[in-house]
Amino acid sequence: MTSFLLRRLGQSLVALFGVMTLVFFIQRLTGDPTYLLVPETATQEDIEAMRHALGLDRPLFVQYVDFFRDTLSLDFGKSFIQNVPVTTIIASRLPYTLELAAGALLVAVVIGVPLGLLLALAQKKFWTNGLMGIVLAAQSMPTFWSGILMILLFGVSLGWLPPSGSGSFAHLIMPSIALGLLSMATYARIMRSSVLDELSKDYIRSARARGVKTRRLVIRHLLRNSAIPVISITALEISQLLAGAVIVETVFAWPGLGLLTVQSVVSRDFVVVQGVVLLGALVTILMNFLADILYSFVDPRIRLDGTGG
Amino acid sequence: MSFLKFLKAAAVVSAMLATASAALAKDELVVDLVNEPATLDPHMQWNPDSYYVYRNIFDNLVTRDNDGEIVPQVAESWKQISDTELQLDIRGGITFHDGEPLTADDVVYSVKRITDPDFSSPQLGQFNSIADAKKIDDNTVVLTTKEPYPALLAQLVKLSIVPEHVAGKLGKEGFNEAPVGSGPYKFDGWDRGVQVTLSKNDAYWGDKGPFETVVFKAVPDASTRVANLRAGTADLVVSLNSDLAMQFEGASGVKVLSAPTERVGFMGMNTLVPPLNDPEIRRAAAMAIDREGIVEGILQGGESVASQMATSAHFGFVDGAEPIPFDLEKARAIVEEKGDAAKVPMKFATSPVYDQRIVQAIQQMLNEAGFDVEISMTDMATFLKAAQNPDQTGRPQLSFGRWSCACQDVDGVQYPLLHSSSNWSRVNDPELDTLLETGRATLDEEARLEAYSKVQKIVADNTYILPLYQAAALYGANDALVWQPTANESLFLNRMSWQN
Repeated sequence: MTSFLLRRLGQSLVALFGVMTLVFFIQRLTGDPTYLLVPETATQEDIEAMRHALGLDRPLFVQYVDFFRDTLSLDFGKSFIQNVPVTTIIASRLPYTLELAAGALLVAVVIGVPLGLLLALAQKKFWTNGLMGIVLAAQSMPTFWSGILMILLFGVSLGWLPPSGSGSFAHLIMPSIALGLLSMATYARIMRSSVLDELSKDYIRSARARGVKTRRLVIRHLLRNSAIPVISITALEISQLLAGAVIVETVFAWPGLGLLTVQSVVSRDFVVVQGVVLLGALVTILMNFLADILYSFVDPRIRLDGTGG
Repeated sequence: MSFLKFLKAAAVVSAMLATASAALAKDELVVDLVNEPATLDPHMQWNPDSYYVYRNIFDNLVTRDNDGEIVPQVAESWKQISDTELQLDIRGGITFHDGEPLTADDVVYSVKRITDPDFSSPQLGQFNSIADAKKIDDNTVVLTTKEPYPALLAQLVKLSIVPEHVAGKLGKEGFNEAPVGSGPYKFDGWDRGVQVTLSKNDAYWGDKGPFETVVFKAVPDASTRVANLRAGTADLVVSLNSDLAMQFEGASGVKVLSAPTERVGFMGMNTLVPPLNDPEIRRAAAMAIDREGIVEGILQGGESVASQMATSAHFGFVDGAEPIPFDLEKARAIVEEKGDAAKVPMKFATSPVYDQRIVQAIQQMLNEAGFDVEISMTDMATFLKAAQNPDQTGRPQLSFGRWSCACQDVDGVQYPLLHSSSNWSRVNDPELDTLLETGRATLDEEARLEAYSKVQKIVADNTYILPLYQAAALYGANDALVWQPTANESLFLNRMSWQN
């Protein structure tokens, strides 16, 4: 266990180093933010002065070393555009991202998992094809379209929900559904194939032969054994959801990290992009780590030291 | 409770709620912007989402009325005491939101703050012609410019007065978080990423605002802004295009407000490299562009065809100038006659920020006339860097832009686009340079107008640049909101009101 943890920690540090280096250089390859910050009438001297003020006139390597030194001392810098510490900006957006991620995950799991189970158990029924069609449709509908349809229907025509924005539970409903439906379809499909896989195994057949009731069979055996892929998916989904849901956030004016990232990339606000990417990398690494640990609890055959199985 | 009673009770409650929300709408105005302001320090950022908000928190030295005339604000009157000195009489009795009076010292401080190179204001380029600001007495300040600078007043329209005792103490960052001004609205709170709230300044010296509170929200998606307006959760939304505005037709309770702006859409040409270094080929390119078609077929939002790089809202606009007529046949004939010289491949540099419908239309029109135009799309920062390439001949062969100096003086449009020394210019004509310099450096209005009328003639005769249209700004508003949008694209809350 300890050696596993150490190895994972080492891998994580290498991954973080790689992510930081990549984000630093790729951004600087994409252009100079100075031009976006000065008015159109700025002269070449004004542009130079602004570049100097931002520290972008220093050699690239010096900037890179400074970036690492500052990050290690937990100084993530100030936004070029807003002139506010990145930590303040991210901290103001993070709660919204967490809220939306939780809402979407809830929608996805609460609908997706039972749906997948149902689709697997009722495999031969004629209506399962129809249901599967709906699941696929939910997954393939572009959110900018389904989102605006929901807004027009529930926000404008029926007036049941606030069309956009944040601040109350009612505001959270539509974005959670729009975002959750995508993952819901993933859960339903994974759960379905996982359960089908289990159903074909011998222990299920012998349990059935022993006369174990379906309900007990599902709860005691199937759910638990089909959970592994669901956990992997959840780890992936959480890291994706926390990185921000750009389109849903844009359509519903939800002030999460995704929107912040896109705005910062477009305006070349390097410092903010670095902060968000670093956070995203940390979350992904942490989630995968947690998923690994969870596996061993759900299925003791999986050992963390890699000797099992 | 019987079902009928329940229904009645529900009806009463919902009627009460409806009344409450209607009453609320009268006290609170909700404005949907595209993004949240970048900053609320008026000396730190220059983008519409920022100034829509902060122009209500701060007073400026002077302002423009709804007709576009420069009128007093903090400066009660002014007089040019020499070619390089402007004397301003500071209005007495203005107080900042913290109760302290606005003094001549605050005016001097504000000018020095924004022109201090170390402060690195993005607006420095608009004010760096000011060499000094001096307090003469409690009510008088004299601004000295490096050279005679006729557009000074037009620039001072954008100079907000900040309180020395607050901005000096809080510093850049602190002042941005808690701005204190003297304007008709006070800063109330900033929920980052979500909204900025302002409340009415009851002690305002001028026209007071009609709303108790105003909330500016960040709603990046235009369709969502429209939905908010139709659902009644927003009263005023900015940055619509004509397609979205058309959705309003037939919808009750909402309306479209539009105003011509001081922004000129234009096609820029690099007149220094082939094929557009030949004036006849440039003329052919100009004749190939159906500007009526662009205005009426694509834009449809109240734009009008432009005859020059200025609008009637600009000082220096030349009356009676005619746009080059659309004549595809003639354009084709010239291209044919010029042969290979006209068919040199051209790159049309652009970025997604610009309306791609227009870029594509122009490309198609030019190619129809026989040119060989290819669109080269990059992100905005890369585009800007190429457009301001220190080597003039390296600047884009073709580009589309919408220029506003936010100063309503042709100097702010034509000097940067046409003077050979400017970052953007793709023209090198000594005679034109001299005229533009005259226009920039003399205070004699007659002489300036004469210079700009000659500029207009030279530019038109040589087809140095192709003015396309005067842009319009489209807003969506609650039917009950009374407001006349102006050319300078500001949202002055104290010039709005509710009907009745």
